[in-house]
Amino acid sequence: MPKFKPHRTSYRIDMTPLVDVAFLLLTFFMLTTTFKPTEEVTIVLPSSHAPYKLPEQDVMTINIAKDGRIFLGLDSQILRRRLFGAANELKESVEVPKEQLAKYLVSARTANPKLRTVIKGDKESDYGVAEDVMKILQDTQITRFNLVTELAR
Amino acid sequence: MAGGDVAEKKEHGKKGKKRKKGRRLGIRIDMTPLVDVAFLLLTFFMYTTSMSRPQTMEINLPPDPNVKVETAESNLLTIRVSDKGVIFWNIGIESPKKIEFKDLRTFLLEKGQANQKLTVLIKIDRMGKYDMMVNLIDEINLGHIERFSIAPLTDSDKALMAKVQV
Repeated sequence: MPKFKPHRTSYRIDMTPLVDVAFLLLTFFMLTTTFKPTEEVTIVLPSSHAPYKLPEQDVMTINIAKDGRIFLGLDSQILRRRLFGAANELKESVEVPKEQLAKYLVSARTANPKLRTVIKGDKESDYGVAEDVMKILQDTQITRFNLVTELAR
Repeated sequence: MAGGDVAEKKEHGKKGKKRKKGRRLGIRIDMTPLVDVAFLLLTFFMYTTSMSRPQTMEINLPPDPNVKVETAESNLLTIRVSDKGVIFWNIGIESPKKIEFKDLRTFLLEKGQANQKLTVLIKIDRMGKYDMMVNLIDEINLGHIERFSIAPLTDSDKALMAKVQV
């Protein structure tokens, strides 16, 4: 039997549309991207059905880690430098002892009265810490705050 | 490939007048490296981007903790949570009753519809989980109950719960 030698045809794919789409997506992602800040602690968020989105700027985040440590985070670098010093200005959040939290909250609020307070607690953290934080917030006249959650599916 | 094309074009150009008539040579550039780089950057941005901003839940506390808000006993639904995550509820001064978390949503919806002025008081043990508080507030919001407040769990509350559990 004669062997069939497959007839090789060299083919070229026109890649131009592919490049178009790739660059379109690339520009889209480049423009929309806001880099994820490197977190000082990993926080697993609890889930809820709350409809509100986290505001984009002027946010003061009180992070509650799983082990109960409290980290205060501010989104503006200038404010971070003013509060925590130049050494910590690039950190997303800085660990704050519970006793000094009130002092930091007040000075942050005086520096920027538009600051919105959010509590970002780990779902496995003890409620006691959150209770203390809410007490501190109430004492410092921050009676309106938000809890960061993940959207429940 | 591309280089060949360019060379050909130059040769063609030397022929002077004939150039006008000369058919256009389509220049083909090998786009594979371009695509490689584009997709590399694309994947990089896709990974680093954080598209969805997280959801938030709003809480309002009374400005002065010493001001007592008067609520009729019959309008006050107290939810107590033990350190083990067991949920108890009672209205007014009734003795607490146990409830499963999964039944809470329908329960709160019913109670909220039955009494428009219902206020929920959440008391969670300090050893309980933060997750529990978020879930409870979420259930209250889903039950369309407008007013709720959070209070610390005292020893008398603990004793009350222990009595029911036994």
